[in-house]
This record gives sequence, C-alpha cells and structure tokens, in this order.
Amino acid sequence: MDIDVERKNETLIAQVTGRVDSANAREFEQALSSAIGDDRKVILDLGNLSYISSSGLRVLLLVAKALRNKGAEFALCSLSDPIREIFEISGFDKIIPIYGSLMEVMGE
Amino acid sequence: MTQVPYKILVVDDEPDLEHLVRQRLRRQVRAGRYLFVFAQNGVEALEKLDEDPDIDMVLTDINMPKMDGLTLLEQISIVDPNIRSVVVSAYGDMQNIRTAMNRGAFDFVTKPIDFKDLRITIERTLHHLTLWREALASRDKLVSLQNELHVAHQMQQSILPSAFPERVGCQIYGSMEPARDVGGDFFDIVTLDKGHLGMAIGDVSDKGVPAALFMMSCRTLLKGAAIGDPSPAKVLGLVNHLLEEDNQAGLFVTMFFAVFNPAKGELVYANGGHNPPLLVHPDGRSALLPSTEGIALGVVPNLTYQEKTISLSPGDSLVLYTDGVTEAMNSDDEEFGLERLRQVLAVAGSHDAREANQAIFAAVHTFAGERPQFDDITCLTLRHNERAP
Repeated sequence: MDIDVERKNETLIAQVTGRVDSANAREFEQALSSAIGDDRKVILDLGNLSYISSSGLRVLLLVAKALRNKGAEFALCSLSDPIREIFEISGFDKIIPIYGSLMEVMGE
Repeated sequence: MTQVPYKILVVDDEPDLEHLVRQRLRRQVRAGRYLFVFAQNGVEALEKLDEDPDIDMVLTDINMPKMDGLTLLEQISIVDPNIRSVVVSAYGDMQNIRTAMNRGAFDFVTKPIDFKDLRITIERTLHHLTLWREALASRDKLVSLQNELHVAHQMQQSILPSAFPERVGCQIYGSMEPARDVGGDFFDIVTLDKGHLGMAIGDVSDKGVPAALFMMSCRTLLKGAAIGDPSPAKVLGLVNHLLEEDNQAGLFVTMFFAVFNPAKGELVYANGGHNPPLLVHPDGRSALLPSTEGIALGVVPNLTYQEKTISLSPGDSLVLYTDGVTEAMNSDDEEFGLERLRQVLAVAGSHDAREANQAIFAAVHTFAGERPQFDDITCLTLRHNERAP
C-alpha cells in the first residue's frame, strides 16, 4: 500500500495504491492522519486501490468523521467496480460522497 | 526509588580475594548496587546457592580444593541455568578458559585481577542478565496471553448456536471458523413466538480481540432486540442505535437479520450492509436476495432500516455467508467469489441444511489449499422442507 499526496487549489489529494487489509490498516490510518493537516477539502483517489477490507473501511469512516467534526469536506473518487461494490454493499456510499473521477470532484 | 542490589557469589580459596573485593568494590556496595556472598570452594558455593535463591551472578576461581571452578560451572547450569558466571583464570591459561566458556561461563577475567576490568565485566554480565530476564518475562506473558486467547476462543465458540432448533417445515444449520483464536464473525438463531425463527449473520470490521469484544456485544444486543420486536428492520435500527451510542473505536458490523415463518414459508428480512444472501432453488438455480439498501451498524445514528418479504417454496434454501467465504484466496491470488459459491450450491443446495453448509466449507478449504485463512468464515443455511407427500 502506498499513498501519494499532493495539494491543488486548496485541496489535499491522496492517491492510494495497492491493497488495504487488516495487516496494514493501522499504517494506512497513521499515513492518512499525518498527511491531513488543516485541509478544508480532502479527496482520496482510489483508482489504483486493488482491495480494501473492513479494517480499511473502518479507517475511512474514522477519517470521514474527524473531517466532518472539523467542518471539512471529504470525498472518494475513481473507484474500480469491485471496490465500488464493497462500498455499495456496506452502505458506506451513502455516508461518504463518491465521484467517478478526480476531474469530476475537482470541478465541483 | 530504592533498587534491590545484585547478589554476587565470589568463590575462591584464597581469603585475600574477599578482602580485595570488599575494598575495591566498596563504592558499588555502599551505593546498594552489589551485595557480595563468599565461598571458599565449589562445594561451599553450591551450598550458598541452595540457601540463597536470589544470587544473580557467580565469580569463581578455577583451581580450588574439594570442587574446582570447572566442575562448579557444570553444577550451576543444573541448579539454575539463569545464573550468569564469570571465571577468574591464570593469565594465558587458554585451555581452562576455553573449557569454562564451553561449560557456560559468560566471560572471564585474568589474574592478577584488574579491578577496573572486573567492574566492567560485572556490569556487562548484569546487563546481559537483565535483558535475559526481560526476555523470559515477555515469553511468560506471551504464553499466558495465548492461554487467555484459547479460553476466549472456547467462550466465543460456546455462545454460537451448536444445537439447531427443529421445526416442522424447516431445517437450519450454521458454523463459524475464525481466522485467528477469536474472530469478529457471528451467527445466531433466535426462537420466537408462533413457531417463528429469527436468524442473523454478522461480520465485525477488523479481526482479533477488538472485533471479538464488539461481536459479543452485537450478538447480545441482537438477541435482546429480536425477542422484543418481531420486525427485522426495527431490530437492526435498535441494535444500530445502541452500538453507535458509545462506539469510540469506529468499529462497525454488517448484519443481516430475518424472521422465518415455517408454516407459511414466509421470510421477512432487513440488511445492514451485509453481503446479500443467496436463495437457492431445488433445481440448482440461485439468486441474491433483493437489496434493502441498509448501512452497516454502529456508524450513523438514528437510521431507519427497510425490510422486504419473500416466499420460500418447499425445497428452497437460504444461504447466509460472510465475505470470508467469497474473499477466501488461493495461492494464485484468486478469490473464491460468488460464482464458485453458486456452483457449490447448484449441487449441494438440494441437500439438507447441514450438508449444504458443510459443502461450502469443504469447497472453500479445497480452493484455498495451503494458503492460510485470513478472514473468519461463517455460513448459516436455512432449508424450507418439502411438504410430506
């Protein structure tokens, strides 16, 4: 699992590559929380995410909650079909906004 | 903070050494770091070790009457292998030094004793001893944790149903195999009024002890809620509310709950973010249950869940499973997947509930082969019996 972070137009964009499972969920959590500072808008580009387990979903929920409490925006984009299905089955697509592409979410 | 001094047994037949040690190491004794005990030969040393189990380290000469230092070394490793020994040898006596090291001595110093070197040697020995004891303590702690986990495993398995209620018109069978000692999957069967059966399957995010603790409270809340209200949607709503209230860890559980009426073959269900169960017909065809669009429990407060009702025909089976089944991997990094599950059920679906359930586990194990199981695997199968001819 790798996370590449860049900031564009006052938005933090983190690109997640590889798989997130119970073995590296803690690392994923620490990497995200240290990357996210006072950002008002955070986008996770999951286009290169090959797998996410429930431990990984838990991390995303914690990040979403922390950002919501700070009044910041949070969104996901570019999910492959199997990953999107994981979000749909668990119902988390109703909690965290999901966009088709980075361009789509940046255009908002 | 007062520290307990290290107890060092000095063994030498020359009485001068006792005087010298007391003189040259008096600062360490006064500071409460060392405490010396003296013996004149190996036999006497063994008596002291026997009297005083607190001795940490032995400093021994080699040539002594009654029992020499090399024999003493052998005996010490039998009396207490955790005592560290340092031998005092004549300068250049490599043969005895080698023998002493081979018999377990930690280090050596040579005569005439250089007390600065002796102090360094003693400190090095005691440092090693401290690390060794810490390692032993960690090992003991690990063993005791493993024992506790083993007990937790048994407790967790014992709260899952092992006896399955018999009803005219249906059979039910389930089992759970945790990936570790304890897991976050569970299933339950609740006996309700009017001969109805409540059946649930759940999968807590994450694994191991935190998941197991969360799973225990999910299962208790579910049981209480199910007995209080016959509506699956209301049951999930209540459990969600209670779990979410004080969920600091951000854990969640996907949960499917259904109430079956065997007399009518009617199944009412609600789904909180769980994999949709499979409805398997006697001819082998199968279909996912229509979604009720629910969110996993424990995350969002005050959710209202939807429920749906379907009819099971005689011979139909309903198979509830966790993603440990569909996401089981083989050594080629392939997932077991929903399609393979449907293929298994195309054959086994017409069998009784127990056989169908066991066929799923067997297929997953065969598929995974040598690849270690990384998620809990759970299946619960309900079969609506054929009517008697």
